[in-house]
Amino acid sequence: MSIAALVLVLLMLTPYVIGYRIAFSDVVVTSGWLLFAVVVFLSSYNLRKKLTYPPLLKSSTWLQMHIYLGIAAMVIFLFHTSGKVPTGHLDIALYALFTLMVASGLFGFYLTRTIPTTLSSRGNEVIFERIPLFRRQIKDRVEQIILQSIEQSASSILAEFYESYLMYFLSGPRNVLLHLVRSERTSYRLRHELRESDRYLDEQDKVLAAELDDLIKLKDDLDFHYARQGLLKLWLFFHIPMTLVLLIFLVAHIVLIYAFTYGGS
Amino acid sequence: MVEVNTPVRDKPKRWDLPFSMDFTNEAERREMSFSDLNDLFAKKPFSEMDASRFPDSLPLASIVANDTRIRLYREGDAIVRQGDYGNSAFLILDGDCRAIIEGLDPAQLGRQADHSKSLLKSVKGLFTNALAPEVRDSRLYPQHRDKAVFDPSGTVFVQDVPNILELSPESYSEARHNIIPEGSLFGELAALGRVQRSVTVVAAGPGTTRLLEIRWQGLRDLMKYDNGLRDHVNELFRQNGLKGAFQMSPLIQAIDLDEEQWDQLLAEAEFETFGSYDWHGTYQQLRKRDEDLLTQEPVVQEEGQYPNGLLIIRAGFARMSRRHGAGEYTFGYLGIGDVHGLQELMHNVSTDDNSPIQTTLRAAGYTDIVRVPTRTFEQVIYPAMMKTWPDGNFPEKFLGETMERRKTAMSTRRASWRGDRRKREFSGAPMMEFLAENRYINGTATMLIDLDRCTRCDDCVRACASGHNNNPRFIRHGKIHDHHMIANACMHCADPVCMIGCPTGAIHRSEGGGEVVINDVTCIGCGTCANSCPYENIRLVNVRDQSQDDALMVDPVKGKAIVKATKCDLCVDHHGGPACVRACPHDALTRADMDDLLDLSEWLNR
Repeated sequence: MSIAALVLVLLMLTPYVIGYRIAFSDVVVTSGWLLFAVVVFLSSYNLRKKLTYPPLLKSSTWLQMHIYLGIAAMVIFLFHTSGKVPTGHLDIALYALFTLMVASGLFGFYLTRTIPTTLSSRGNEVIFERIPLFRRQIKDRVEQIILQSIEQSASSILAEFYESYLMYFLSGPRNVLLHLVRSERTSYRLRHELRESDRYLDEQDKVLAAELDDLIKLKDDLDFHYARQGLLKLWLFFHIPMTLVLLIFLVAHIVLIYAFTYGGS
Repeated sequence: MVEVNTPVRDKPKRWDLPFSMDFTNEAERREMSFSDLNDLFAKKPFSEMDASRFPDSLPLASIVANDTRIRLYREGDAIVRQGDYGNSAFLILDGDCRAIIEGLDPAQLGRQADHSKSLLKSVKGLFTNALAPEVRDSRLYPQHRDKAVFDPSGTVFVQDVPNILELSPESYSEARHNIIPEGSLFGELAALGRVQRSVTVVAAGPGTTRLLEIRWQGLRDLMKYDNGLRDHVNELFRQNGLKGAFQMSPLIQAIDLDEEQWDQLLAEAEFETFGSYDWHGTYQQLRKRDEDLLTQEPVVQEEGQYPNGLLIIRAGFARMSRRHGAGEYTFGYLGIGDVHGLQELMHNVSTDDNSPIQTTLRAAGYTDIVRVPTRTFEQVIYPAMMKTWPDGNFPEKFLGETMERRKTAMSTRRASWRGDRRKREFSGAPMMEFLAENRYINGTATMLIDLDRCTRCDDCVRACASGHNNNPRFIRHGKIHDHHMIANACMHCADPVCMIGCPTGAIHRSEGGGEVVINDVTCIGCGTCANSCPYENIRLVNVRDQSQDDALMVDPVKGKAIVKATKCDLCVDHHGGPACVRACPHDALTRADMDDLLDLSEWLNR
């Protein structure tokens, strides 16, 4: 950690040191190239993830460097732009892209530090790709219960409950946004509704209703995992392609700068 | 349903590849001839065996022909090396051998720690991995060895060492080695007990020494149907086990015993076994019946009893528990070389009190112990300890796990932490209970995942797949205690029960680090290892033929797909250690040695 902090401080000071030494000759160009180098290094983390071999440091070490250099990049960026929004269309787009990348990085940092704890404290551990399978199994079991209820008792209360609420609830991931803010309101209402109807059920249906209650909880937990694991995956799906777009814009920016500023002069 | 373009392959069988053909070096491959077999059956112990006692499915002649091989050594050649994991025993046919107990540097014995692929090959693999799952080069299989180069791995490389012995005259002196005469059997302890070789044995000449190497599957079958060999091996096992056990104990290693003390120790120590050697079967049955495992485990030493000796674990594991209310709770476990009862014995010998045993010790599965009687402890070990540590400050690592020490460690951690969440002790009694109950204590490279850090990105799974031709060798799923998961990845057990029953020896210990690996070439896909693994960490897969457009390989007679056993090999072929650990961006994954409780506690309580 202390080494990382030292590197960070050095990186933050680098533009000032360079700026001082070159005595305002071309601070913007120097900081621009430095920023480009840092962004290229930050982007290479994804490449490192793909290349298991050769063993180039642990991925966790790379992530540490990614975080600290990301913060350093923000500082260099402020220095490079002098804290002002540029005027040209391409530069505005680049400015927006970089800002978006920084925001996405910080958001990702927050997600990776907070979501795992919530996942491990609720429901069963489940592999994201297998969630649809489990969802299907729950739905099948619920349908079996409803059919059993229809066969064994004259009452259609559980069947009506299924038709009114459960069919929709079980047919796909539900309450994704609510799960992202850790709200259990919908499932609580659903289970409350089921318990309210308990007084109209005979003894056999009460047993089935109890199992339904467990299955609703199970499905709700699956949705919770789907929403939160999905957000982590979706975030990466955004962050990584954005990096490529940013690199393309950066290259275009450099080419244009040299073509029209230095080339022109 | 067989695909139209499916290549047809013979279904692998136990003796497809006789042991005599299972050599890396082509020059050494030679089928056992009739003359060889006649020669063997004229010698003891084969001459005394009753062939009629062997079943038709396992005839004596077939066992000898297929599970043994004749090996020739020049004077000074190392036959087995101390520290190696062996899968076979040796019978001296002609000549003598010498056992060198100490004095040789591992480097002098040519021990290579690194059998990895080259870096270039590892990198190349990333770009040439197969697209279909479980693709193999069928030309490597023995059924096709006449068509292509056959390169089985896992055989013992014998280092030529006369020069080394010249460099180490001390190790070659009469005082430090023992002659093993013609007709003797050696190496059976490591082969049958799944433990490291305890000595280095070299050919003593003069001239060529001829040995019969018997792979442990064959030795097991010979012992099963021949009482004479069984009694002989059991006696050797007892003698060598006793000596080996003392050498494995860090406490005994640390104290300085003279020859007389050693003699007394060896003469008076007792050798006992608790539980069942193939404990995994019983364990699986008990788990299925949902029975309380602790009460089913044989008691080795009970809390409150008079300490009748110092117990040293020779093989297997033992659970330490203490009475709590109407039951017992687990607070630790012991592995090979650990001791039990030392503190009580030391207390009793140094004071007038008679302190009883403070914790109950039970065999977790099976446990071989060596008991040094209290009197012998008082006369031999305690004086030697006092001589080694005159101030009485015995290193903690020798004293063994105690309830008090664990409590102290817990309170120290609590005091040093801030925040409510982190005040919890994750390596306390509930975790110990979880590890012992599920027999995870067996793991030397158990995959632990901290679910509070894991973002479920599956980078670990992808990294594993990239190093294994696109086939992940573990599943990121498993039993969970609190927020720690033990994933379904081979734990490279200290006691690898998966090796019991493998008919070809395909599953074996690697020679360098002792990792449990499967030789894909000699695996016949019988599933014995997968069924034996109590942790469900071995998978049988249908294999595909690379030379036939990745079509499934099928047995022509039965029309069934050919299967092979697969599991985590700890990336033993690659540089840089397990890829899964290196690939985790959040340091959420580790491979833990369950014998190292200190390291485990540190990791759990980060």
